[in-house]
Amino acid sequence: MSLEELAFLVLAAIAVGTALAALLVRELVHTILWISVFFVALSGIYFLLQADFLGILQLGVYAGAVTILLLFGVMVTRKRIFSREAATGIGPFPLALALVSIVILSGVAAGLPTQPRTVHAYSPAALSEQLFTTDGGWLVLLGLTMLSALAGAIYLVREGRE
Amino acid sequence: MGAFDTLFQWAFLVPLFPLVGFVIVGFFGDRMKKAEYGGWVAVVLSGLAMFVGILIAIGEALSPGTYTDASYTWLNLPGTQSVFSNGFSLVMGTLVDPISALMLVVVNVVGFLVMLYSIAYMHHDQGLPRYYAELSLFLVAMNGLVLSDNLLEFFLFWELVGVCSYFLIGFYYEKPSAASAAKEAFLVTRVGDVLFLLGIFLYFATYATSGGGAGWAASGFKFTNGNTPFLGSLVGSASSPTLTIAGLMMLAGAAGKSAQFPLDVWLPDAMEGPTTVSALIHAATMVAAGVYLLVVVSLFLGFTADDRLAIVAVGGFTTIWAASMALVNTDIKRVVAYSTISQLGYMVLAVGAGFAMVGLYHLFTHAFFKALLFLAAGSVIHAVGTQDLLKMGGLRKSMRVTWIAFFVGAMSLSGIPPFAGFWSKDDVLASVYSQVGAHPLYWPFLLCAFATVFLTAYYIFRAWFLAFDGDGSRDASLPHAHEAPWAMRLPLIVLSGLALVAGLFAFVPSFANLLPGAGVPPTYGTTDLMLSATSVGLGFGGLGLAYLMWGNGRVFTLPADSPLQPFRTVLLRRYYVKDAYDWFGLKAVYGLSRAADFVDQYVIDGTVRGIERAFSQLSDAGRRLQTGVVSDYAAYVVSGLVGLLVFLLWIAPWLVRSVGGG
Amino acid sequence: MSGLVLAQFLGLSAALLGIGLFGILTRRNFILLLIAIEVAINAAVLNFVYFAGFASGPGGVSGQAAAVVVVGLAATEVAVGLAIVLALNRQRGSINVAEASTLRQ
Repeated sequence: MSLEELAFLVLAAIAVGTALAALLVRELVHTILWISVFFVALSGIYFLLQADFLGILQLGVYAGAVTILLLFGVMVTRKRIFSREAATGIGPFPLALALVSIVILSGVAAGLPTQPRTVHAYSPAALSEQLFTTDGGWLVLLGLTMLSALAGAIYLVREGRE
Repeated sequence: MGAFDTLFQWAFLVPLFPLVGFVIVGFFGDRMKKAEYGGWVAVVLSGLAMFVGILIAIGEALSPGTYTDASYTWLNLPGTQSVFSNGFSLVMGTLVDPISALMLVVVNVVGFLVMLYSIAYMHHDQGLPRYYAELSLFLVAMNGLVLSDNLLEFFLFWELVGVCSYFLIGFYYEKPSAASAAKEAFLVTRVGDVLFLLGIFLYFATYATSGGGAGWAASGFKFTNGNTPFLGSLVGSASSPTLTIAGLMMLAGAAGKSAQFPLDVWLPDAMEGPTTVSALIHAATMVAAGVYLLVVVSLFLGFTADDRLAIVAVGGFTTIWAASMALVNTDIKRVVAYSTISQLGYMVLAVGAGFAMVGLYHLFTHAFFKALLFLAAGSVIHAVGTQDLLKMGGLRKSMRVTWIAFFVGAMSLSGIPPFAGFWSKDDVLASVYSQVGAHPLYWPFLLCAFATVFLTAYYIFRAWFLAFDGDGSRDASLPHAHEAPWAMRLPLIVLSGLALVAGLFAFVPSFANLLPGAGVPPTYGTTDLMLSATSVGLGFGGLGLAYLMWGNGRVFTLPADSPLQPFRTVLLRRYYVKDAYDWFGLKAVYGLSRAADFVDQYVIDGTVRGIERAFSQLSDAGRRLQTGVVSDYAAYVVSGLVGLLVFLLWIAPWLVRSVGGG
Repeated sequence: MSGLVLAQFLGLSAALLGIGLFGILTRRNFILLLIAIEVAINAAVLNFVYFAGFASGPGGVSGQAAAVVVVGLAATEVAVGLAIVLALNRQRGSINVAEASTLRQ
């Protein structure tokens, strides 16, 4: 077992564990702490895949901005920050659905070739060139989406709205 | 090419003059200072039409032939290989031949005289512009029908005639009985009209597919082929089940229009219209259109032997059927109306026996004496204000002209020589007798016709005695009668003259050209003389019986315990035919409608509602899925995702394997 | 450097997607719902990045570009989601999605 593989397994275990923990703990602030760890673990996996730019993006956007945003949401919607969520029962149907999809997808994954392969590294320059030339349309679309999302968010939260 | 083709070119003027009258009176009659002015316009224009019509008849009499003026192409279909290899074009135009010229005379002379008579008779009525406009339109239609050069054009005018009849019967439309009589006339004749149209289709289909009939179909229902009439060229060639059925359809159409059994119920009820209308339409001209149709079809297309038997049966039976109902009726107009049905039966009988021209001959004389009878009856009604014969009486003294006119009409109707009716009715009887060997079933109908001679003389003189004999009105409330004004007397006098001599026209050689064919004028051999003697004897017998029972102011009352009472009731109820029709309409048709309604309500609507209910329940079920909770929607989405995965990963490959075979 | 195993990555992303779905289906708190959605989206982003790395040839960078776009979308989604959270909270005093059933009308 190579070092990378070992690193991957550790990071994967952390990711799965923190994701589960984030969704299962009752304390909402703890959830956010766990999810920030999850984001960091994922960024580690990106570094492992030689996608340095995406790893940094993951750290900045998710572990930084999204986590803070979520925490902010918790803060404005709660009178006391540390208050436990009421326990919610887990219905058999959603659980079954989730398990079935995991089983199916894992089954597919298990059928794939298992020999190790090297990964390519792409420079941030190549990525940015791709983004601003060949895949520029996607970026424009993303920009438009963000603009309309911004307008929508302002519309939703503005004062005096019934 | 005949000598008078230049004259015949102008035949279209005959319907055109009344059409102008219709437009003027119909659209501007209300704005005239006096309602009579419109009437005078109509009278003058119908007089012009009569003038042209008589000129044409004279032309045809001097130089008989067929003249067609096909000026308007209505329909032009390119030929197809399967149906008409030569294509099909329908050309509208006028056709002048001897029989149409004769009909022009009948229609326009009676039309003009009735118009003139109306000036005085309708004086007090409201809606006169409407009356004269409709009467003019009727003349347009009737002249158009007579001058039609193909069967479809004929049918168009035929329907127009029916519409005018509907309008005129319902002239007093405020009266419920008049309105319902108009509807009845329209609907009953409609039965015949529909069958007539089907008959046209059948003829068309037969001749179009077989290629026979001298290109009859290809020339567009024509009565002629170029300037050559079909006259007789097709007679006898017709013999197939289809043609028999088509001929029966023609008979049905004629029976509707000419009020033959069993479509006769409408004509007595049509007496709800003004008497003048009855005289023109329901005695002299329109009802003759049915006979004219039979004449035309028998000449141009021919009837099969079975058709002819059916025609003889209908005509022969109708004579006695209608005459029997006239025996007991006390309404002066209805008595005359029944006599019309009965006389039309004679014409149909003659056509069925193969003597179309004899039928037409009787049509010609009948038009004059029947119009005369109706106008005389109208004069009586005008004077006393009632139609009930039992209330009248003693009019002889106050109404000399009417008295004589009615007498002339009655003598003519009864077939007493030398009045017009004698010649033509005897000709009918003789010609049917000559064919009696053709089929054993001709006998009973010939006997019916002979018996009817007796009944006819009886009932018409019964009416005459009741109205004019005696010392005075039996009902004291009736106004003192005065003779009619000159506008009414003049037509009576003219028609009396015609009823006297019209039968003799057939003996004038050139006039006889208008009735080409066998049987006209009558040839009096020994057998014929015996037949004539019989019928004249029967006529005098009826007259005498009427005198004994009703003459000199006598009123014969059937004893209440008489065994004949039930027969009287049956006759008064008109054999319950109308009741049967009403029952059929109310019970059978209504029941059928109820059944149809049930099917509509529960089967068709039920299906629709069932589908609707199914969807409603389905959507109820769907609504329960719509909880509004986001998580539930998410669950549906994920279920879909899982389903898609299952499909892509297992089902689709399996399908590809099993279908693609590799 | 002996390389990485594709199957392991895909297994991880399958597991993460399942966890995300599970969260989406069971959690009633709107913020938890958002987090679960983020987990599921990250599973997808992960796939883009793997395949970009494993792809042979220069076109592979396109996978990373897609990942960038998806990350942007996810961030946008969180922003809108939080706006909804605030609006819901103001309107109902609760961010429990089970109570927010106005979609039904």
